[in-house]
Amino acid sequence: MSETTSGLLLAGVGGQGVLLASMIVADALVRAGHDVKQSEVHGMAQRGGSVFGHIRWGSRVDSPLVPLGSAEVLAAFEWAEAIRWVPYVRDGGAVVADIRMIVPPGACSDRRSWSMPYPGIDAEVFASRGLKTRLVDASAIATELGNVRAANNVVLGSLAAFLDIDVVHWEAAIEQFVPRGTEEVNLAAFRAGREASEAQIPLPTVEPEGFSGPHEIDIRHDWCKGCDICSRICPEYCLAVNGDGVLTVTNAEACTGCRLCVLLCPDFAITIHPPQEPATVPVHAVQGGASR
Amino acid sequence: MTDINTYLREWTMPHVLCPGCAHGIVLRSFLEAVDQLQLDPDKLAMVAGIGCSSRLIGHVDFCTLHGTHGRAPAFATGLKLARPELNVVVLTGDGDALAIGGNHMIHAARRNIDITVLMLSNAIYGMTGGQSAPTTPEGAVASTTPAGNTEPMFDSCKLLIGAGASFVARVFAANPLEMTKVMADGITHPGFSFIEVISDCPEYFGRYNNIGGGANMLSWMTVQDEGVAGPLSAKRFVNHVPITVLSPALATGVLEREVRPVFSGIREG
Repeated sequence: MSETTSGLLLAGVGGQGVLLASMIVADALVRAGHDVKQSEVHGMAQRGGSVFGHIRWGSRVDSPLVPLGSAEVLAAFEWAEAIRWVPYVRDGGAVVADIRMIVPPGACSDRRSWSMPYPGIDAEVFASRGLKTRLVDASAIATELGNVRAANNVVLGSLAAFLDIDVVHWEAAIEQFVPRGTEEVNLAAFRAGREASEAQIPLPTVEPEGFSGPHEIDIRHDWCKGCDICSRICPEYCLAVNGDGVLTVTNAEACTGCRLCVLLCPDFAITIHPPQEPATVPVHAVQGGASR
Repeated sequence: MTDINTYLREWTMPHVLCPGCAHGIVLRSFLEAVDQLQLDPDKLAMVAGIGCSSRLIGHVDFCTLHGTHGRAPAFATGLKLARPELNVVVLTGDGDALAIGGNHMIHAARRNIDITVLMLSNAIYGMTGGQSAPTTPEGAVASTTPAGNTEPMFDSCKLLIGAGASFVARVFAANPLEMTKVMADGITHPGFSFIEVISDCPEYFGRYNNIGGGANMLSWMTVQDEGVAGPLSAKRFVNHVPITVLSPALATGVLEREVRPVFSGIREG
């Protein structure tokens, strides 16, 4: 490994343009005359998963992977990802981060306990290791410019302060890689990122709106034909058709109010009442006319 | 959001359909679309021919017109020309629309008159005892094809695109949210909108072909969906399906959408 090799890491969430940004950085470094290697991981990225790119550059690079604790800079496009990848930054290195928070899909997997809240924020993570930080509200800046998807270039604009690359190379790389027709807004985003004011470390998040108590399942038995669709589709196993073909609520505590049973009931026999809402008395009375 | 049941003629409920028949799910999704669009029930006319699907209009509290077998598009054309301010929706089945009324359907499409056709395809004649229909997949057992159907099935969406319908879509009864969205699109589209809803017949098709009741039929239909399968393929729902009969994979979603001059019966200029 060459003594002059440096590394940087880009991290974010699927859909934010992390890989595009890492191509732009790599290309800008090539244009600046470096040998560059870039590598990326994008597993379940399209489902909102973690995406990251490694870039190393210098007079000669043999491997694209940045060793733990050796990156010059971490550019994070999402706040939790910034926290997650901080160990890769060398002591005294720098962190550029968008303060946007995206709740990971894993936090939604348990609709009752919300047992995976958004990670806690501790500014000590940065201060104790002497890291320089530059936090930007990139999404807000990009939205103001007209396209939230240009937020990745706002982060790159802020990143540019830590890398010795001429602006000409940055802008040429951006023009080459962003989708046709979006060059203007992306270049504007890059310039805005260079001048962006420092954002505050975001406060701990508000608890996500979760399970506020079981919903009430109201079955209209004179319409129900016991077809078994609702009991088979219910993700929380709340309903069952008993041996007499009568639909019963077997697990009333578990209803999250997803309404799949309501939407798939062919007989209009199920109504779901949210916990706060007082249950209305169903109108079972015959409303005139001969019953069938 | 209004209580969907207020769109029903409650004294006619429970409806006439068999337990597990997905036609009721389709009706609910349609009513959700009506609710989303805030259509005036007095300005919404539903026209139907003969068949299980056509029976549904008896249960909804709109203006309803029950016509003769296969002739619903003809009744609807007359109604729309006489009362252009009405939203006219034809509710029909696959046999009603493609066999008995095939002619009326393609010519209504050719004229591009501003009506919406919901064709509930259950791949069989349910009301008359399970005879094979133009949409019965090859190999499927029906009362008239006890050893399996030997004829290829219709792709009704391709037929209607060819005939000139300006909005053509296919949805599955197992995906109620998508159904509602596409139906709302179809109702608001200016011109002839044709929406094929893949529904089911657990009583005949499911029983003859050993697929099972309503729940199994719903998961059976999701495996025919060429696009991403709906929520039903998750978890235990899909495990019960013995796949004995499978139609060719069907493309879903909006398959055709263009804006063409709408037929009003009057020559412009």
